[in-house]
Amino acid sequence: MTLSLVVLLPFLGAIAAPLFAQGGRTAIAIASSVPALLALATLFPMWGTLAEGGTIVQSLEWLPQLGINLSFRLDGLSLMFALLILLIGLLIILYARYYLKPQENVGKFYALLLCFKGSMLGIVLSSNLLLMMVFWELTSLTSFLLISFWNHKQDARRGARMALAITGGGGLALLAGILLIGRIVGSFELDDVLAAGDQIKAHALYPYALTLVLLGAFTKSAQFPFHFWLPHAMQAPTPVSAYLHSATMVKAGIFLMARLYPALAGTEQWFFMVSFTGMITLLIGAYVALFKHDLKGLLAHSTVSHLGLITLLLGMGTELAAVAALFHIINHATFKASLFMAAGIIDHETGTRDMRQINGLWRYMPHTATLAMVAAASMAGVPLLNGFLSKEMFFAEALSLNLPGIWAWIPPIVATLAGIFAVAYSARFIHDVFFNGKPRNLPIYPPHEPPRYMKIPVEILVVACIMVGVFPAFSVGPLLQAAASATLAGEVPDYGLAVFHGFNLPLMMSLAAFVGGLIMYSQRQKFFDFHARFREVDEKAVFEAVVSWLVEKARGFTALLENGSLQRYTMLLMVSAIAVAVVPLSGMALIGSNGLTAIDPPTALGAAILVFCTLGTVYIHRERLTSLIMLSVVGLLVSLTFARLSAPDLAMTQISVEVVTIILLMLALYYLPSWTPTEASAGRRNRDLIIAGVAGVGMTLVTLAMLTSPFSSISDYFLENSKPGGGGTNVVNVILVDFRGFDTLGEITVLAIAALGIFAMLRGRELSAPPTDGQGHPWAFDAHPTMLKQMSRPLLPLALMVSVYIFLRGHNLPGGGFIAGLVTAVALLVQYIASGVNWTQARVSMRYHNVLALGLFFATATGAGSLAYGYPFLTTTFTYLDWPVVGKFEVASALVFDLGVYLTVVGATLLALVSLGKLTPAGRPLTRTEARKES
Amino acid sequence: MELAFALIIGSLTFAGVYLVLRARTFPVVVGLTLLSYGVNLFLFSTGRLMSGAQPIIGSTDTYSDPLPQALVLTAIVIGFAMTAFVVVLSLRTRADTGDDHVDGTSETERTQDQSTTDLPREETGQ
Amino acid sequence: MNHWLTAPVLIPLIGAFLQVFMGYAPLSLRRTLGLATTGLLLVSTVFLLMMADDGSYRAYAFGNWAPPFGIVLVLDRLAALMLFITALLALFCHLFSLGRTDVSSRQFHALFLFQLMGLNMAFLTGDLFNLFVAFEVLLIASYGLLLHGEGTARTVPGLHYVVLNLAGSALFLISVGMIYSVTGTLNMADLARIIPTLNSGDLPLVEAGGMILLVVFALKAALLPLTFWLPKAYASATAPVAALFAVMTKVGVYAIIRVYTLIFGENAGALANLGMDWVFPLALLTMVVGVIGMMGSSGLRTMVAWQVVVSVGTILAAFSLVSEAGLSSALFYTVHTTWVAAGLFLVVDLIAAQRGSAGDKIVTAPRMRNRTFISVMFMLGAVSAAGLPPLSGFFAKLLIMSAAVPGLQMAALWAVILLAGFLSLVAYSRAGSIVFWRNVDGHIGQPERLNFPHTVGAGALIAMSIAIVFAAGPLSDYTDATAEQLRDTSAYIGILDTPMVGEDES
Repeated sequence: MTLSLVVLLPFLGAIAAPLFAQGGRTAIAIASSVPALLALATLFPMWGTLAEGGTIVQSLEWLPQLGINLSFRLDGLSLMFALLILLIGLLIILYARYYLKPQENVGKFYALLLCFKGSMLGIVLSSNLLLMMVFWELTSLTSFLLISFWNHKQDARRGARMALAITGGGGLALLAGILLIGRIVGSFELDDVLAAGDQIKAHALYPYALTLVLLGAFTKSAQFPFHFWLPHAMQAPTPVSAYLHSATMVKAGIFLMARLYPALAGTEQWFFMVSFTGMITLLIGAYVALFKHDLKGLLAHSTVSHLGLITLLLGMGTELAAVAALFHIINHATFKASLFMAAGIIDHETGTRDMRQINGLWRYMPHTATLAMVAAASMAGVPLLNGFLSKEMFFAEALSLNLPGIWAWIPPIVATLAGIFAVAYSARFIHDVFFNGKPRNLPIYPPHEPPRYMKIPVEILVVACIMVGVFPAFSVGPLLQAAASATLAGEVPDYGLAVFHGFNLPLMMSLAAFVGGLIMYSQRQKFFDFHARFREVDEKAVFEAVVSWLVEKARGFTALLENGSLQRYTMLLMVSAIAVAVVPLSGMALIGSNGLTAIDPPTALGAAILVFCTLGTVYIHRERLTSLIMLSVVGLLVSLTFARLSAPDLAMTQISVEVVTIILLMLALYYLPSWTPTEASAGRRNRDLIIAGVAGVGMTLVTLAMLTSPFSSISDYFLENSKPGGGGTNVVNVILVDFRGFDTLGEITVLAIAALGIFAMLRGRELSAPPTDGQGHPWAFDAHPTMLKQMSRPLLPLALMVSVYIFLRGHNLPGGGFIAGLVTAVALLVQYIASGVNWTQARVSMRYHNVLALGLFFATATGAGSLAYGYPFLTTTFTYLDWPVVGKFEVASALVFDLGVYLTVVGATLLALVSLGKLTPAGRPLTRTEARKES
Repeated sequence: MELAFALIIGSLTFAGVYLVLRARTFPVVVGLTLLSYGVNLFLFSTGRLMSGAQPIIGSTDTYSDPLPQALVLTAIVIGFAMTAFVVVLSLRTRADTGDDHVDGTSETERTQDQSTTDLPREETGQ
Repeated sequence: MNHWLTAPVLIPLIGAFLQVFMGYAPLSLRRTLGLATTGLLLVSTVFLLMMADDGSYRAYAFGNWAPPFGIVLVLDRLAALMLFITALLALFCHLFSLGRTDVSSRQFHALFLFQLMGLNMAFLTGDLFNLFVAFEVLLIASYGLLLHGEGTARTVPGLHYVVLNLAGSALFLISVGMIYSVTGTLNMADLARIIPTLNSGDLPLVEAGGMILLVVFALKAALLPLTFWLPKAYASATAPVAALFAVMTKVGVYAIIRVYTLIFGENAGALANLGMDWVFPLALLTMVVGVIGMMGSSGLRTMVAWQVVVSVGTILAAFSLVSEAGLSSALFYTVHTTWVAAGLFLVVDLIAAQRGSAGDKIVTAPRMRNRTFISVMFMLGAVSAAGLPPLSGFFAKLLIMSAAVPGLQMAALWAVILLAGFLSLVAYSRAGSIVFWRNVDGHIGQPERLNFPHTVGAGALIAMSIAIVFAAGPLSDYTDATAEQLRDTSAYIGILDTPMVGEDES
């Protein structure tokens, strides 16, 4: 897996590099260049295979479900890009060593740079489209961090976020496109995809796939209309700009188009989308570049325009054009990188990049000037420099593009026009900066040559420009050949890499461009004035405005939906429940096959009262005390209903729960306002009435239909096994403690948690009790009426006895731990009410936490007991004892379980209500008698 | 019999739902209580209605379905715990917001501070 | 019968009531015991995970009463996975709670463990009514936890949460009643057996019951239109609780997956795939609303809370594709999003603790003390949550997207997922660059120092996102197997013949 190593090395370096940060900039620079050197060493031996057009694919299965594998591929194309990335990367590392100031966070810088390098290598070397996707987005993220390296600058932050949004967003589109391709081909491996070109182009999804992929490529390569992020990425430190915008980041999109050339190119859609986008970008970039006063701004826009040029070439769809595109990629990378570095040096030495200030630097830094001028000349397309060659090819292709009629003229004209602009801004770069009078109030004066080594990268690149320009075939011939054959996935047309092709039309165009450009530059003031008429739009501001607009709108929208009104949320819940139920229920028979049974008068009366009180509770719900009394009647009648309908246990439970609940609500009402104000509008009330009405009617009908339809359940089993299996005749109780004991365990846990929750919730909270009730009457004559005291105290032992009785009989007759527990709790509560918290606390010396914990313990322990005998949790056993007085009765392990229930109930109920009773530490308010004493 | 029972459940549901939709804590609590009565009766009745058939072996010759009864008993207990909790919570709301509105403040006031921030009031100190 | 199945329920239960006993024991002791309990729980769930990976259904009949009469716990791949996710999450949340959260009330550790007990009950139970009980246990505990902590901020959101869930419980009982009134059974396997055989006259009640049940679960899962209780509640909860609650919505999701593959799944005859045609569009809408909420949130906590909403939408959208691939991808995404969202909650808490009065608001503030560490954590979490490579979120989304079959459904799903990804990318980058980079001069009174539990708790959960990437292969194998197992309902129904102890095992 040597190729994966090439990708991995930079990332490892990124982890290692910061460790050298203490060693100073030189140390870390050396450390950071190791990965690249190793990578080059790894790639070198593979050249042999590639030279004769072979490819190397190394694959490792990763996620077959997704069709994503760790497979890497080295062919001419990927090699060409890998070399650009690695070599220019090395120069950048050297350059940055001198560019960065010692006090800056060098470790972070190099770490990020290496991460970025690794991601780029990943893109060009991946043989699996999804794997490439991973690295693609990684470059977006790492470049985000690189551009925002100086994150204290607002412009840097914004530029970075803009770049991330555009490229990252484009990446998502690309992802969709790749997935579509995967759908069509049935694999994400490049070999398969490139082989399936015809299949893809024929497929119905091709237009979508193409569009999405191109969206990804265009956003990354700053094609119109997504070009604007690139110039703003210039907020990055210059080494970053030089790297990202010459050789790497922005070339990723180009690479993608070249990579998928065999799979996607060669159709009408491809031609129009790509070539026209390229054409527009080419022009706009070139035009704007001329008017940028910022050195890097000029270079950035020229980059945009050159990317457009390459895109246009790829779009033309002819093989020669593709070759030209590849060639220009190399050339642009070399001269643009050197120019950026030169700009950086100038910035470094003068403290500004504004060409209106920087003039006549020739006098101060002739060496740098020479280098910059050569590079700029190459950018302009001056003969004997590499820029010239690829531009010639471009012109030739523009001419040979046989479009119908008048259209045939457009490409050559556009090309020449762009050429003119290019010459003009290159001329400006040279003349404005190095000649054109004296510098005007430079921050750093006088400027002088940079450190020796800072110039070396520039020199190397400039030499490369000349080498390629003079001996193209010798210098880049083989590489270009390999790259071309890889891109075209087949025969490469013979193209002449000669410096001079004779006096042909392309040469004429270059000449025209040259002359025109110089004229334009000489007349630049006119153009500046013309351009000044249009208002400059700062895309960063626009982007920011858009984002904050989005945020604002989103905030408004959210506040609209999530308005913090419980009533709305509850309404939504109820309505959705009704909505989903209405549809199926509409088809239901109203009365089932069993029909209705007669009702006896007392029951009917009871039902009538029950309904009446229910509606009454609603009707007078504003007078809370009255409605509470109504409510208690309802509860009472409900328990009677249970009794009437042969559910004694439920009746007893309901009634005891009822008592405690009402006490609780009474207590609550003591602190709450005693009446409810009218707030809701009539409309709101009617809405609620309708919702509630529908729910009520619905439940009535459902119940009716259900009750009248036949039914068979698993319950016979319980009736049969209750006595023999569970050892109890009260089936309900046996179910609770035995058949479904686990439910009960959960149930008492709920009770315990509730009590703890209440205790925790009221911790440290105080509610001053209102001195009088809602109507302004003092509460009572006496806090603890003697009558009540005297009555309640003997009640306690009685009640305890009763609860013991209920508890013991529970297994065979209505009763059981829960009811018993509540009775005990109520008995104790009465003491609290009658004699006050302090009095009772003094006598009832138990910590209710422990009681309920003990209860849970008993329940669990009983359950676990059976484990010892190899039986599952909660398996019960029982035997019969015969005691003299009590007579024959039965001890079931379930009884211990029920004891747990009992204890939990007592502990929980008391813990809850007592902590509520303690809510007013100041004690109760004055009673009437005391009030009289006071006055 | 069935009709009366159905009407009981219907009215309980109606009352419960309506009160649950009110704006103050106390009616909401009452509503929840009513609702749980209705639900318990409904769940109980899924075993169908029988008179004098308490599921106690040997007490009668026909027995009503004991399972729903057991379920309802569990439901009652859980309901009791929940009611207790929500009652106390309503008191805490009163203590913390000085109001017994379910949203802490009545809608008009809220719409005002809604615009300023939708953040928890606390959490901003150290 | 394998007693290990009860461990996830009993371990926290025992741990919890020990905590109650020791309410007044020294804090250090309670902490040690609490963490030990959670750790033990994790171990047991790992054990169960390995056990369940053989693809068989294991039933545990309480009281040795054969299903459908007694209550059974059922262990399968899905249950084991959920148990594991929860236990791991819980351990780190519990760790994080040491120091700031658990000092403010003696009940914290008990409530925390009770919460876990409820969750595990819900994942394991094979009985519809017992599922209700489990829900009540985890809800009442969550009420306690949600309201836990100093200050008054969480009272009102807490009240909303409680009242809504009480109403939800009522609906739960109604639907259980409706289903029982026709089928006469509560055991899920038994229901799965009976429902396909129902005659058309009985269908309406069951169908209505099933749909209302779906509403109840949707409320827990915070699916639109029952979403809006969540953001404020989660944003106002203390960090460890909010982080733990990342799994609370997943319980709703779990219940939906369980009930609507087993009882109302593809083999449910007339009621096959009940309600799924409602779920898919609602899930997409939930994602949209959620991501809009993220865009609009003015605090990081609220933002992460909305992130939870988005992820619920994503999971349910994938699930409602009603395909094995969809189900598998939904589960994969669940693993990823539960841990990452929780981690983000914790990281945000670290941020808030170092920004003084600015707290988690997305505004400028003095530079925080441990900016580098925290910002890296946040970035990792955000990248993963937004679904960008190379972290787990990307692969999860990839699985979901490739699970869709070409057509309108795929178009809608892809569009929403990609759009949501893009917007959350914008939102996170904006928030991050403001919170971390746009600093003003000045210094905080006593910015909280990073301490061991906090760093590990937050860091570990975020790191999970990387771990998932490396384990992506095995994990997706597991989720695939789970999906396959879930579709084979007859095997689940097979638990009805589990031999009881004492019977001859033939």
